[in-house]
Amino acid sequence: MKIDTKHDDPIIATANKLRWEVGDYFHDSLIESIYKEAEVISAKVVTTAGKKSQFDFDKFIDRVVTSKWTGFPIMFLLLAAVFWITIIAANYPSGLIASVLVDTIHPLLKNLATSINIPWYINGVLIDGAYLAMAWVISVMLPPMAIFFPIFTLLEDFGYLPRVAFNMDNIYRRVGAHGKQALTMTMGFGCNAAGVIAARIIDSPRERLIAIITNNFSLCNGRWPTQILIATIFIGNLVPPIYGGIASAAAVVSVALLGIFFSLVVSWSLSKTVLKGEASAFSLELPPYRPPRILQTLYTSLIDRTLFVLWRAIIFAIPAGIVIWLVANVNIQGISLAEYFIRFVDPFALFIGLNGVIILAYVIAIPANEIVIPTVLMLTVLVTGVSGVGSGSGVMFELNNIEDVSMLLKAGGWTTLTGINLMLFSLLHNPCSTTIFTIYKETKSWKWTLLATLLPIMMGITICFLVAQLWRIFASV
Amino acid sequence: MSDSLILVVLLLAVSILAFIFYPEKGLLNKWRSIKSNNEKILLEDTLKHLFECEYNSTDCTLTSISGFLSTSQGQSSKIIVKLEEMGLVKPIGTKIYLTPEGKSYALKIIRIHRLWEKHLADNTSIREEEWHTLAELEEHKLTDDEVNRLAAKLGNPLKDPHGDPIPSENGEIPEQKGIELADLKEGDIAKIYHIEDQPLKVFSKLTSLGLSPGMIIKLIEKNKNNIRIECEGEEININPILALNVQVVSISDSEELIESHDTLSNIPVDEEVIIVGLSKSLRGQQRRRLLDFGIVPGTVIKARLKSLSGDPTAYEVRGTTVALRKNQSDKIFIKRKNIV
Repeated sequence: MKIDTKHDDPIIATANKLRWEVGDYFHDSLIESIYKEAEVISAKVVTTAGKKSQFDFDKFIDRVVTSKWTGFPIMFLLLAAVFWITIIAANYPSGLIASVLVDTIHPLLKNLATSINIPWYINGVLIDGAYLAMAWVISVMLPPMAIFFPIFTLLEDFGYLPRVAFNMDNIYRRVGAHGKQALTMTMGFGCNAAGVIAARIIDSPRERLIAIITNNFSLCNGRWPTQILIATIFIGNLVPPIYGGIASAAAVVSVALLGIFFSLVVSWSLSKTVLKGEASAFSLELPPYRPPRILQTLYTSLIDRTLFVLWRAIIFAIPAGIVIWLVANVNIQGISLAEYFIRFVDPFALFIGLNGVIILAYVIAIPANEIVIPTVLMLTVLVTGVSGVGSGSGVMFELNNIEDVSMLLKAGGWTTLTGINLMLFSLLHNPCSTTIFTIYKETKSWKWTLLATLLPIMMGITICFLVAQLWRIFASV
Repeated sequence: MSDSLILVVLLLAVSILAFIFYPEKGLLNKWRSIKSNNEKILLEDTLKHLFECEYNSTDCTLTSISGFLSTSQGQSSKIIVKLEEMGLVKPIGTKIYLTPEGKSYALKIIRIHRLWEKHLADNTSIREEEWHTLAELEEHKLTDDEVNRLAAKLGNPLKDPHGDPIPSENGEIPEQKGIELADLKEGDIAKIYHIEDQPLKVFSKLTSLGLSPGMIIKLIEKNKNNIRIECEGEEININPILALNVQVVSISDSEELIESHDTLSNIPVDEEVIIVGLSKSLRGQQRRRLLDFGIVPGTVIKARLKSLSGDPTAYEVRGTTVALRKNQSDKIFIKRKNIV
């Protein structure tokens, strides 16, 4: 019942006694006195040359970008411009890389392999499987990332992005998250793995986990082509041809907005439930505006973000390519593993408005969303036995003509419901393996990695199920 | 038709699951709380109650125990018998006292409870209202080893977030011990803890000045012949000899008298003010972040910019611009420059 002043060591005894007298808030006084000292010293030795200009440039920009009238339009225009530049400018290099890696080097390797008599299965596993998957991932992933990330980093370097976080914070505060999540979410539209890494800018543990777990709700670069293709085939066809383009564009944008909506709802429920036990502290610095350092930005965004993410994607794509080839080519009693699996999951898949091919494609194309459509096409050919398309079993391919894709998919039994549900499932499914691995690296926790992986897929199955039921009810009326 | 049937079945399944798993009101939770209401908890809660009675110098009876535990008198007496067998309590007449072993057991439980509250306050975003309830559950679970690790992680704190002292590992807790009024420095704020009632003449003199235990006072000036204090808005002069009989304690965190109630959230854009203090409800990481930015008493701070929706607001402090949410700037006390 007394303070331990009888400790053997008189110094420790005194310290114990003093501790109770000093109290818990001595850190405050310590920091206060450090700042006081620093102020005295800096007043003595620091001199500022010249006087401030009359016109405060920073303040002017700040007033404009946070104004009620100009703030939001500027933000939307800038982001729209970034996406537009990315999509337009990525087309050409993407085609170029694909024509080199897929159309030129791939046949070259095949010929080489045949000429030196490599058994067909090794040839298939290595060239049609591993190489092709890697080539595909590089050609569709590299150009958009190499354009999106530098532009994004330039905006960040200029000082604009912290203002976006500043403006958006009110919404994110209400769902228990941090304004900077607006930035990591936007980054997620480029690549979820990069978005997860970008969550490092949030220094509060709870808000950072929320940003990491919900990043997958941003429709990433690898999913946009799927959305656009399926919307064109299944939504665009529902309306007269002249409105087709608008209808499918509207459908894709709605899916992206739905993603933002889910990311907010999930943020809210996470902060109220499982993440309640994590510490939360808000702080947001608004650095002064400055001319972006272009070369440095290019270097860091290419090395740190683009190549880093691409490298991880390639590492995961190679084994997946092998698996894709194997499931299509390993036959038991004349039927491939892929067909066994598809037949097995078909009843369940059709019940939730998808089909076995889609489920299998999402399982084996886990390394990158980019190869989902090539895998779906390959599997559809395999299952339906349509002849004249594709380049052999287990070889992923794409068709240049949308009509051909449409015919092939409809031959595979696809309906408008399948199309809508694929769009929803493409938004709400597990993150790609690169992102899952990155989440583990960033959180160092299997618990949060599992949650981030399973939560969206559960939501996806539930939403697809509900849509399918509603669809059938209304279709039968 | 079968599809709508499936929909109905699904909705039913969801509502049944919700009924079972719903937080706080669900079946699972009720079952848990019944299960956790076992003997060990009752025994430990009784010891805690007995200790608190002794700390506050009141007497504990069977009635007060069954009131505290919300059990029947019969059950409470069974608990007391059990505790007596374990050598932890000793009834004398109708009053029940803790043995030294019982006291150290009770202190152990209190230590866990207060450390856990400190942990919840500093390291989680769980709301203040839930701390006590959660700590009530946790105090019966942690082992000695876990508790010491927790304390080390928290930096061996002295007080819980309510300002109550946390017993040390060896069960030491400071007694509510006062110091002489005359030992206060000028400007100190303290609470009157004790007024000696002997000799009676001095006591009645002090009470006639309007002093009584529990009052919060501020020492304005002291010299050899006079001590001047401020007490409930009045200035009182006390003879230093009389003041020898007045003991004061430093006020606890929750009682702190903050002179300025003007907060940072009240100032318009472009106004420059001086920070006078940070509310104690800014804790843990949040508090450290603010201190790191140089938001300490004496700092000049200027509102620079409101965000699009009005919250957060950006402030200029020590050459940098920092955005703070309103729920933070509400807890930073300031004084206006023009009033100085």
